[in-house]
Amino acid sequence: MKHMQSKSMNLYFFMAMFIFSFQLVFSQKNTEKLIVNIVPIFNGESILKDTWYVTQSKDSIQLSKLKFYLTNFVLIDKESSTDTIKKQQLIDVFKKKTLSIELSDIIYTNNYVLNFDIGVDEKFNTSGANAGDLDPINGMFWSWQSGYINFKIEGKSPSCTTRKNKFQFHIGGYQKPNATIRTLAFNLASIKEKTLTINLDAYPFFKSIHLDSQNQVMIPGKEANSVANLLPKMFSIHE
Amino acid sequence: MNKVTKHILFSFGLFLCFGFVVLKNKKLLFEYPEYWPIPHYDFSKLSMSENEFQLGRHLFYDPILSRDNTISCASCHTQATGFAHVDHELSHGIDGRIGKRNSMTIMNLAWNTSFMWDGGVNHIELQALAPISSENEMDASLEQVVDKLNASEKYRTLFYNVHNDSIITGQRTLLAITQFVVMLTTSNSKYDKHIRKEVGGEFTEQEKNGLSIFRNKCASCHTEPLFTNNQFENNGLKIDPTLNDFGRQLVTNNPEDSLKFKVPTLRNIQFTKPYMHDGRFETLQEVINHYTSDVQHSNTVSEVLKNNIKLTHREKVDLLVFLRTLTDKEFLFDKRFTFPLKNKQPIKS
Repeated sequence: MKHMQSKSMNLYFFMAMFIFSFQLVFSQKNTEKLIVNIVPIFNGESILKDTWYVTQSKDSIQLSKLKFYLTNFVLIDKESSTDTIKKQQLIDVFKKKTLSIELSDIIYTNNYVLNFDIGVDEKFNTSGANAGDLDPINGMFWSWQSGYINFKIEGKSPSCTTRKNKFQFHIGGYQKPNATIRTLAFNLASIKEKTLTINLDAYPFFKSIHLDSQNQVMIPGKEANSVANLLPKMFSIHE
Repeated sequence: MNKVTKHILFSFGLFLCFGFVVLKNKKLLFEYPEYWPIPHYDFSKLSMSENEFQLGRHLFYDPILSRDNTISCASCHTQATGFAHVDHELSHGIDGRIGKRNSMTIMNLAWNTSFMWDGGVNHIELQALAPISSENEMDASLEQVVDKLNASEKYRTLFYNVHNDSIITGQRTLLAITQFVVMLTTSNSKYDKHIRKEVGGEFTEQEKNGLSIFRNKCASCHTEPLFTNNQFENNGLKIDPTLNDFGRQLVTNNPEDSLKFKVPTLRNIQFTKPYMHDGRFETLQEVINHYTSDVQHSNTVSEVLKNNIKLTHREKVDLLVFLRTLTDKEFLFDKRFTFPLKNKQPIKS
């Protein structure tokens, strides 16, 4: 008899669990989406291929590649509680569909600040072959010295005495003291229609770079680390 | 319905649910002697299936990985020589181009904490990227390779057999190669049988003496049972001015790593010649003579080599005899690791 009882108890327990999980899946949580749009510009003009731009240090340049990772999106509310959205997106300025990042399951209570990183954090740099945007097939992973290229900008300029006047900045490296990941924070208080529009301006990048003397960074290290300090200056809220 | 019938029906149901899955894709076990350390590699991303192993094996032996379909992994990693490149000081790849280092062996990689002579690769799953994209080796890119695989009916089928869809990605390609190379475990040499006190492991006096010399003079770097401590050391080789290879320093940028190279395993060393990162020594006698009388002293030379290792002629001979007990013929001639025959397809789903 006792045995029977425990059996039916078990049954009730499982039924309760079933209903509970059913509710969990279909219940109306107040989660919504947040869209982050990236607008690539150069000192106010749109970035296009095969188009000449002039940097602050009077170098004429054309951009052929501009790719970077945005990762680790964290929403912080006024009470400082955080909500992390797992997402790594590879932005390619010349591929339009990569310029919009959709963050789902956002709870819009009191979100105050959105933080995210330019670059891939150490965990993914040391965890072997990853999938999706982190797949090494995307050309953003170094083969001879494991690690992601967090930010890649390439092009040409008559100021470069290199082969085909090319400049190439492959900024990466996850090991301290020369880790190149950088964090950005944006206030969400004034965003409209659940969309945050961010300018990515290549102009500030070239502000302190003189292409005749500095036109190639292809390895992790001190130089990459100092170039990485320029990256946050490229991002600002689209007015 | 009585209890027995219920049980039979239930078991039959279970079999229907799971039976075919098991038949479809046989699971692999990663086996190694119980007294060995736990592998460094976390196997969780692999399917550990026979089909993925066979897919990896096809990829390992297929020159499709190179730009012009001429060079496969096996071009420089031959099974019978511990997956090293026998008789080649420096390995050559595409268009006959010569690299700058001797190709490493591929054995017991599940225990490796880093890869390549300079440790530049931090994970086994990413190791294959280096030769694929090196311009002296395969001179391709993972993107090109995956495009070629996607265009191949054979590979679409092989990938389908592993993943139940035929989508080929960079990650899946790298994982399949990993599934093959990580299974290349060698643990059945005479030395291993000696340790396990098995038949065939009876050591002669000379071999016993060689083992004790080895433990006294060599084992601090070539640590049992894997015969490497996974560290980087400067073993006092003269700099070759035609290569000027400073080893690990090129990766870490740290002068303290100057001239340091990965401590390689000594398993199957009888067949992995030539020796050292640049393949400068043809014979093991030369290697031992280097350690006893030719170590170049510098700031970064290994602590244990600061005083030359002292060995009598007889001790050298015994040490050599012992090193031969590290040969594992079962591994070197294991048919599961050889070139996959055309007609021998992996288990069909």
